[in-house]
Amino acid sequence: MARRDAIAATMLLLFAALAASESARLLPFGVVRNPGPGFFPWWVSLALGLLALVQLGNTFLGRQALRPSGEGERFLKVLGVLAVLTGYALALDTVGYPIATFVLVLFMLRVTEPHPWPLALGIALLAAGGSYVLFALWLAVPLPAGLLAR
Amino acid sequence: MDLLGSLASGFAVAVTPVNLLYCFLGALVGTAIGVLPGLGPPATIALLLPVTYGMPPASAIILLAGIFYGAMYGGSTTSILLNIPGEAASVVTCIDGYQMARQGRAGLALAVSAIGSFVAGTLGIIGLMLLAPPLATFALKFGAAENAALLLLGLMMVGYLGGGSMAKGLSMAALGLLLGTVGLDPIMGSPRFTYGLFKLSEGFEFVIVAMGLFGIGEALVNIERSVKPEILKAKIRGLLGSGQEWRSASAPMARGSLIGFLIGVLPGGGAVISSFVTYALEKKLSRHPERFGKGALEGVAAPEAANNAAATSSFIPLLTLGIPGNASIALIFAALLIHGIRPGPLLIQQRPEIFWGLIASMYLGNLMLLILNLPLIRFWVRLLQVPYPLLAPFIVVFVLVGAYSVNNNPTDVGFTVIFGVLGYLMRKFEFEPAPLVLAMILGPQLEASLRRALIYSRGDFLVFVERPIAATLLALAVLMVLSPLIRRSLGRRFGAIMGPVSPAPPSATAPIGPRADRGERT
Repeated sequence: MARRDAIAATMLLLFAALAASESARLLPFGVVRNPGPGFFPWWVSLALGLLALVQLGNTFLGRQALRPSGEGERFLKVLGVLAVLTGYALALDTVGYPIATFVLVLFMLRVTEPHPWPLALGIALLAAGGSYVLFALWLAVPLPAGLLAR
Repeated sequence: MDLLGSLASGFAVAVTPVNLLYCFLGALVGTAIGVLPGLGPPATIALLLPVTYGMPPASAIILLAGIFYGAMYGGSTTSILLNIPGEAASVVTCIDGYQMARQGRAGLALAVSAIGSFVAGTLGIIGLMLLAPPLATFALKFGAAENAALLLLGLMMVGYLGGGSMAKGLSMAALGLLLGTVGLDPIMGSPRFTYGLFKLSEGFEFVIVAMGLFGIGEALVNIERSVKPEILKAKIRGLLGSGQEWRSASAPMARGSLIGFLIGVLPGGGAVISSFVTYALEKKLSRHPERFGKGALEGVAAPEAANNAAATSSFIPLLTLGIPGNASIALIFAALLIHGIRPGPLLIQQRPEIFWGLIASMYLGNLMLLILNLPLIRFWVRLLQVPYPLLAPFIVVFVLVGAYSVNNNPTDVGFTVIFGVLGYLMRKFEFEPAPLVLAMILGPQLEASLRRALIYSRGDFLVFVERPIAATLLALAVLMVLSPLIRRSLGRRFGAIMGPVSPAPPSATAPIGPRADRGERT
């Protein structure tokens, strides 16, 4: 847990340093009587950096609050879903909503809990088709039809 | 217009067939998501936000508010019957509610919870109705310095009261403030951190961020956790209980309502904290504290009343000061902005139909919830049998369609996934998403007020301490920041003689599942 907290605090510290340097590089700081666009982000970056240091300090001094036990057994499933979600976002326009959604739902049903193929296929078809009819045809959301439109 | 006249005009808005339908739908959806562990009110409101774009503003707010306070009713059902809190605010109800169910008193626990919620909700609405107009009038006196101090205090309180580590809560608030700076500068209108991308010139779309953090983030965490509910097979009977039992529950209900109302007004306070505070108080006040944890009726009545009163009173800072106190209220804030309505001191004067329509709909919604919760209890129990892995793909699809429909742009789907990953990582590293979301909304206001105050005072920082309201608010903010140090120093002195009084409130990132209520720690 302490290692995990240290990683999070270090990431925040790095992000704060990056934000402060980008504020200074890109935005005029102004003066106190007339603060510029870089004034606020710079001070907030500094505050974030200090808070990250406090967390790092707490981690090393062992002052972290007690917490519920972690879960990590199904992490690979989450990674799989994330990969498919990324693919979904990238392919939505070209492949189209119905096919992309069918693949996404099928993957989630098979990977998160191994539902039988016929059930998974049926639900995926229903989810993709039903939601397309509901949103695109009924509620007039212009969802991309993609390959099915050709 | 007097109070009753205003309320009557509100009822004229709320009882139109369309608004009655939305109020009912809000209460229904709210109860359902309250019952279902793994889908919280912020995620649901974010999910349904795009659906409200085409609605009249009053209807949209009535629907979304119904989801929020409806979830408080539904959350207790799973706590009592399954020992799984549907909502973080119902964690404490598990302690005695589940014990009551095991003793064959599930019916009474559910009835006390529903009636307590109704009483507290109604008292909360009366408080909201009485307190909001004078507070809004007072807030009209605020200048840039007072606004900046108030917003700063709000952010500190969210970090302080949000549960978990204060440094983590404030870090997320700082991260939210930084994300809020992307887009156009609020004073000069020049682009910041856009890196030449036109899409970023309007900043990160708040709805997209919320959908990612709460919708996708929550779904990913739940996929990992996979909670399988085991429903208590006992028959639900004895809803009415005895006169003696109701008498013993009435005082805790009243105390829970009052404390919940007061805590709910504070930004970051809300339903979760109030339920824990009232539980601890009831245990202290009881002549038989040893009954707590073994099925004490007061242990159900007080927290359930408190979380409902807090849910109602958390609308006060939003509607009077324009400050959302929790993530769900922040999303309702966003919905109002999308409809061209700025919540704040002028809302009651400029858009009375929104304010009074919402108040009136809350009275009706509370009644609907009472009807929905008690006679339909068997239906809600059955809903629990839908396994989460079957529900998750539908939630994800809804979120993605919602994200797409914001601008009809696939890039938004990509941003939602990115924020979903951030939301998942935040939960894994035990950071609260709520302060980030609130800070993102409040950031541009805070920056504009801060810079304006400095411009008007020609760079004199004393402007924040010379004005009494600003000075008081800032002093409170400083006290919040220093509170861990004060607590630690007091703890060293008195730690040896003070024992634990109550269970610790859970953080929003803590698992809502069988383990959460047993308070397992590593």
